[in-house]
Amino acid sequence: MNTAVSASETITATLSGGGPLNEPWVERGGVFWFECAGITVREVARAMNAVGARFITMTAYQMPGNEGLRLEYHWDLEGRLLGFNFTPGGNSIESIYDLCEAVDWIEREIREGFNIEFTGREYEPLLLREGNVCGVNLREEVAK
Amino acid sequence: MSYKIPMGPYHPALEEPYKLDLICEGETVTDAKLHIGFNFRGIEHLAETRNYIQVIALMERVCGICSNIHTLTLCSAMEKLTGLTPPPRAQYIRVIVAELERLHSHVLWAGIAAKLMGFKTMFMTCFEIREKVMDVLQAISGNRVNYSMNRIGGVNRDIEDPQSIVTMIDALEREMVKTIIPIFTTSTTARSRCAGIGVLTREKAVSCGVVGPVARASGVGQDLRKESPYAAYGEMEFEVPVQPDGDVRARLLVRALEIMESCKILRQALTKLPPGELASGGDGSKFNFTTGTATARVEAPRGEVMYSVSWKEGSRNPSRVHVRTPTFVNMPSVRYMVQGARLADTPLIQASIDPCYSCTDR
Repeated sequence: MNTAVSASETITATLSGGGPLNEPWVERGGVFWFECAGITVREVARAMNAVGARFITMTAYQMPGNEGLRLEYHWDLEGRLLGFNFTPGGNSIESIYDLCEAVDWIEREIREGFNIEFTGREYEPLLLREGNVCGVNLREEVAK
Repeated sequence: MSYKIPMGPYHPALEEPYKLDLICEGETVTDAKLHIGFNFRGIEHLAETRNYIQVIALMERVCGICSNIHTLTLCSAMEKLTGLTPPPRAQYIRVIVAELERLHSHVLWAGIAAKLMGFKTMFMTCFEIREKVMDVLQAISGNRVNYSMNRIGGVNRDIEDPQSIVTMIDALEREMVKTIIPIFTTSTTARSRCAGIGVLTREKAVSCGVVGPVARASGVGQDLRKESPYAAYGEMEFEVPVQPDGDVRARLLVRALEIMESCKILRQALTKLPPGELASGGDGSKFNFTTGTATARVEAPRGEVMYSVSWKEGSRNPSRVHVRTPTFVNMPSVRYMVQGARLADTPLIQASIDPCYSCTDR
């Protein structure tokens, strides 16, 4: 059994009972974070579908210096907020649009705002107009 | 023959700018594409340039209708980072203002829906009722739109005369029971314009992850006030109205019933309003934040609002504020609502989700 499969099984097993969430879940800042390395975002999406969780949103963070970007994914399960952290390697990460329709607009918004490519899907512009550029860094633009 | 009709970004049927490209076969809409971003103000980025006092005033301006909800959610997230808990009286006042905001928002929507149905008398009736709620909000806060009620650790203003609000609630409830609900549910005009129109099935509602009255009108009974109570909602008794049909009429009924439930919550909160302080955390001018990210969610009139707020210890400004508004998740479902609809029904269908594009674009 590889690590990713077991992490995915851990998610479904720990959430199915409806009881209190213990390790590897850690509650922090109002969110139950799944702290287990080696799982992919698509495996998380499948596990969330399996337990009937509702996708809420994802948030992109620009890390200091050259550390790149970080993505937080959030699902709701019966009022509990579940969180998963991912670091897109080379500014790209697999799309989960085919597994979770609700992710459509936020994947498009983050692609346009942060220039993160969600691979395996097609896009139409959401916020951008003709001639606009993906991933404009507002901090640098304002500082000019 | 298939042809495309662009609706918006500036159009008489749209309260705010966005764009629907409707693909039609004759009078029937077969598909639609949505374009947003016409109200983009870069608020999330601006938040990073504001300190912990200024950012509350800034985020209150994300939305012109549910402004209070945005500060409530933001302050709840910031309270997690400062370790402050609002005192009981502040928690009750937060519930009262949030429900008053839900009342005026739902009645405003009913008026706009009536206008789009061609029922202008009802539009005037709804706006007359809404005005009474706005008067109460003005009496409490001094403002009609941006109330500045929330601060980190509590609220800025007290409710000194709860009885006056009870009187308004009685009048509103009477008008809802006597006029608005019967007309919306029994009038031939309302029925013919709303029943079976713009259907969003339960399966599609779940798949799109829609929230608030849109979800509840498609048989999905989610409401954060029940599932994950915040402020003083855990101490309130109320029902979550759910309708199974998923059409415009169901969305109308859910909001009408929610007005009644809001009246119920307001009566309880006003009657049980506990004595005590309005805020914790000193005079509200200095706060110590811990490093980390905190998330808060509340049930806005249009559904779940979520804020993720990141802070670095010692900093006066947030390092990131992300806002997920209800229209951002409800709007994509309009594409499914209009498929198979008559072209003439699309203004009402898109309005039936009670869209807010200022919120969506931020």
